[in-house]
Amino acid sequence: MLARFLVQPGAPQWQWILAVLGDFLILGGALFALLSLVPNRYRKTLVVILTFLAGLIYSVEFFWPADPETGKNFLTDLRERVGEATNVVYAFALGLGVYSLLRFHAVNLIRKRPGWHNNLAFFIAFAVMLGVGFWDYLRPSQMSANAFNMLFMGVVAALGATMFSTIGFYIVSAAYRAFRIRSGEATLMLAAAFIVMIGQVPVGTYLTSGLPSTGLASLFRFENISYWILNQPNMAAWRGMSFGIEIGALAMALRTWLSLERGSFFEKEL
Amino acid sequence: MDHATVPVAILLGVLSFLILYKIFSARRGKELYIRRIAGLSAIDEAVGRATEMGRPMLFSPGLDGLGLPTLQALSILKHITSVAAKYRTRIIVPTRDSVVYTIAEEISKEAYSAQGVPEQYNPDDIRYLSDDQFAYASGVVGILNREKVASNFMFGYFYAESLILAETGHQVGAVQIAGTPAITQIPFFITAADYTIIGDEFYAASAYLSREPTLLGSLVGQDYAKAVIVFIILAGAAISSIFGMDHSWLNWFKSG
Repeated sequence: MLARFLVQPGAPQWQWILAVLGDFLILGGALFALLSLVPNRYRKTLVVILTFLAGLIYSVEFFWPADPETGKNFLTDLRERVGEATNVVYAFALGLGVYSLLRFHAVNLIRKRPGWHNNLAFFIAFAVMLGVGFWDYLRPSQMSANAFNMLFMGVVAALGATMFSTIGFYIVSAAYRAFRIRSGEATLMLAAAFIVMIGQVPVGTYLTSGLPSTGLASLFRFENISYWILNQPNMAAWRGMSFGIEIGALAMALRTWLSLERGSFFEKEL
Repeated sequence: MDHATVPVAILLGVLSFLILYKIFSARRGKELYIRRIAGLSAIDEAVGRATEMGRPMLFSPGLDGLGLPTLQALSILKHITSVAAKYRTRIIVPTRDSVVYTIAEEISKEAYSAQGVPEQYNPDDIRYLSDDQFAYASGVVGILNREKVASNFMFGYFYAESLILAETGHQVGAVQIAGTPAITQIPFFITAADYTIIGDEFYAASAYLSREPTLLGSLVGQDYAKAVIVFIILAGAAISSIFGMDHSWLNWFKSG
């Protein structure tokens, strides 16, 4: 906000960074001071009013008819600004998350708790990734880009993909337990799962290919039974759950917006 | 749909009215009954098990930021932490979102203070792991294995990592209670967890655990709202069956 007045367009990047940091400090400090001045007994009221007003912007914006040409109404731009302000609060909180990580690993490393070498690995990885990231950002070159790609695509993305691929193994062990015939329901689920799976693969289509492709008998082809299970009973259950979840979410949203949910998180007065 | 159409506005108005009406009638002291939800009743049992075994518990609030599912998860965390503090049992809360981390930290701190044991609160037990989905999953898997947790709670919005977390919890022998509004992940939790809270039971959790009149009233209001939805489905089916799919009345059932 202030940065726009203090820094001219086209100014070096460091000036913008300093101006934005200054913005954060000045505005954040002012807000903090303002909140500190409010007596304890009014703080809860202040939070309730702010929550209500922020929610009001979103709900009125949703219900107010929009201009058919622009798809916007008089509150759409303000709603977007409120969304941006939320992102700024998130940016502040990110620092707290990093602080938590650093504190946790530093304490374990300094006290040489069991597994301290993992904490050391964290610091090395953190420093290397940070260093290479800044190097590529501030002094971009082919070498810095290669280094960054090697770390990000070659290590971070590869580790993520490895973790993702373990799901395949977990599905096998989970399926084994789920499909053991222990009750009537489990048997029904096993039969349904068998038909759905076999209906999705060529061999399933081949097994019932002797049945005609039209008429009543065609309904008994594996691919058609599979399609029916997925799109009729399965979809009915899915939509039933969706309705319940969405109504639950609406109730929770109303309770949060109107500050009726307060006791669920904190006992004390704010 | 960016803005409400007339039918959507009317429907949301009616549903909101029903929920708020039941909330305020419950606050006036009307007695309300809610059915037993096995998964939520088992929470105290799971905390007791961890206490007897002398092993910690783990609570994962899901992967989402501070949205409705996470807010609900945090209200469940408050209850579990209060019970854990009462029995002097450790609860580890790994988070993926830094805002959720700060709120989880405050909730835990306050729960221990409310039970008169603020010294039992360990800031290292509320951890921010990573905002990367699978880095978070591997971090939680590591904690489950290293700490040999006795009870594993998974409440919030989960994605593909749900099965990794639940299967690892099963492998370490933890009692597992899971609840999520993510319909695609419910089958994984049903398979791998001991108790799974499905569908709108997830949003009923805070009412069920706290027995606060406001929340109980909201729960009953939700049931009335569901009855309205059922009526609309039946009316839509009847109109389309009797008059055909092109009848103008059916326009009222379209969202956009």
